[in-house]
Amino acid sequence: MTDPAVELRGLRKAYLVGHLRRRPHAVLHDLDLTVERGEVFGYLGPNGSGKTTTMKILAGLLRADAGTVSVLGRPLGDPAWRHRVGFLPEHPYFYDYLTPREYLDYAGRLFGIPSAERKARSDQLLEQVGLARYGGVAMRRFSKGMLQRLGLAQAMINLPELVFLDEPMSGLDPIGRRMVRDVIAGLKERGATVFFSTHILSDAESLCDRVALLREGRLVKTGRLDEILSAGDHHLEVLVAGIGAPVAESLPGAVGARAIGERWRVELPRGVPLGPVAHAVEAAGGRVLAVQPVRQSLEDYFVSQVDPSREGRKWPLAD
Amino acid sequence: MAAGRLSRTAAVAMNTYRESVRERVLYNLLFFALLMTLSGLLLRDLSIRQDDRILKDLGLAAIDLFGTVIAIFIGVGLVNKEIDRRSLYPLLAKPLRRSEFVVGKFAGLSLTLLVNVAAMTAGLYFTLAVTRHPLDLHIAKAVACLYLGLLLTVALALFFSAVTSAGLAVVCTISLVLAGRFADVVRNMPEVAPSVPRALARAVYFALPNFANFDLKDRVVHADPISPAYLAWMAVYAVAYGGLLLTGAAAVFARRDLK
Repeated sequence: MTDPAVELRGLRKAYLVGHLRRRPHAVLHDLDLTVERGEVFGYLGPNGSGKTTTMKILAGLLRADAGTVSVLGRPLGDPAWRHRVGFLPEHPYFYDYLTPREYLDYAGRLFGIPSAERKARSDQLLEQVGLARYGGVAMRRFSKGMLQRLGLAQAMINLPELVFLDEPMSGLDPIGRRMVRDVIAGLKERGATVFFSTHILSDAESLCDRVALLREGRLVKTGRLDEILSAGDHHLEVLVAGIGAPVAESLPGAVGARAIGERWRVELPRGVPLGPVAHAVEAAGGRVLAVQPVRQSLEDYFVSQVDPSREGRKWPLAD
Repeated sequence: MAAGRLSRTAAVAMNTYRESVRERVLYNLLFFALLMTLSGLLLRDLSIRQDDRILKDLGLAAIDLFGTVIAIFIGVGLVNKEIDRRSLYPLLAKPLRRSEFVVGKFAGLSLTLLVNVAAMTAGLYFTLAVTRHPLDLHIAKAVACLYLGLLLTVALALFFSAVTSAGLAVVCTISLVLAGRFADVVRNMPEVAPSVPRALARAVYFALPNFANFDLKDRVVHADPISPAYLAWMAVYAVAYGGLLLTGAAAVFARRDLK
């Protein structure tokens, strides 16, 4: 049986906060997580939930206080897996005196990639992330989005089996976001595992095989998107024409009604019989145009799980 | 395995060198160093029959001063700047060990200094040639010794860069460089201040990096011989002391959390 791409067991991390009296502030609490090989895994959570801390531990930038981490079947301390992994940090910054081509060459040298291959891969990656025209321009002239694109390219210079992407859509325009989606889809297509954190839930919804939802350093939920969302509340939307507001709002079982031009979109909880609703509409001289089940969106689920106002919780200090 | 380490360290060194040579401030410093050397041409007219001594003294002082400024002010940013700007993050996720990064940074700045010191030495020899003075080989020996001292300064700056903030690193490095240049004063302290225990003065004297021993300007000016054995001894001292500093920097940096 193949080892998982990433396995975290009992991961804990606290930062020391305060100036005069330093005290530990826990950011990750006994985190258990498994990312299988070949999947696109979305790591979701609000600001300060511990996503970036997890990423930094995986990248070797932070040391965990407790717990075990294995990457591609190897313990975190074993440098061998680093040859097979790519990493894009949040808000990446690169040497502004270098050109993207020089930077990719530098990154390739750290992997021991031969010179001719480095050049070929750099050209191909710059093309892929839309920076081919700027390959020889010093990065001090680059926008945030262009740096983000280069960050993605350097994370793939070694043809990684596993890629960690911390907020890869950050700072990108819609075209850039589409490019990132294409890159992630391309990585999946060639069998790579993608572990990425994001705030942009529509991207997670369209890309991820599985997601984990993190809140205040604790896992709230992990699983396939369809499983997570099917467990949530479903409702029906009935599109009705030819009735007025009093009728629409008083239809049997209706929990909400919204006017859309001459029509009404009426919301019914799951399980409410449709017969009495249809009769009431017809009795008022109207007609039912459509009935459709509405699945809870990831955003709805996310907000329902992590909105601090719901529980009056205090946000943690670090992400 | 060893080839991989060497290759990664060399990659970091070359990038550090490239960063230095693309810094405008470096060229400004080099310009002023050459200007200081060439100003000897004017000063020699003010002296009688000692113009070559002035040229040599001024030239070596320029190499020492500007080399030290480069070593300290670029050296203290070698690790800190990378952490502050987060340019280090994508690198450390690659198969690059933190110790390789530290050694690569040291090697890169050492190469930058080598090129600069060579340029300044060439400027000094050029000035001597223009003024029809013999090209004294002792100058090259003194410059080699100065360069060893500069390597030790880089190691010191790099150590503080890895263990503390940039501001504090500048203060600590300058303090130790100055203290090291006046190490003899520390050793002789009990003679002028009897309350200072002799053992303590000796301990501090031996603990300080002795930069005074790398300064051979007086010997060159007074045409005193510089033996190869002395240069070899200074090289051993620089390698041993610098090696300890780099090992310490790598050990502390390896455990440092990069938030």
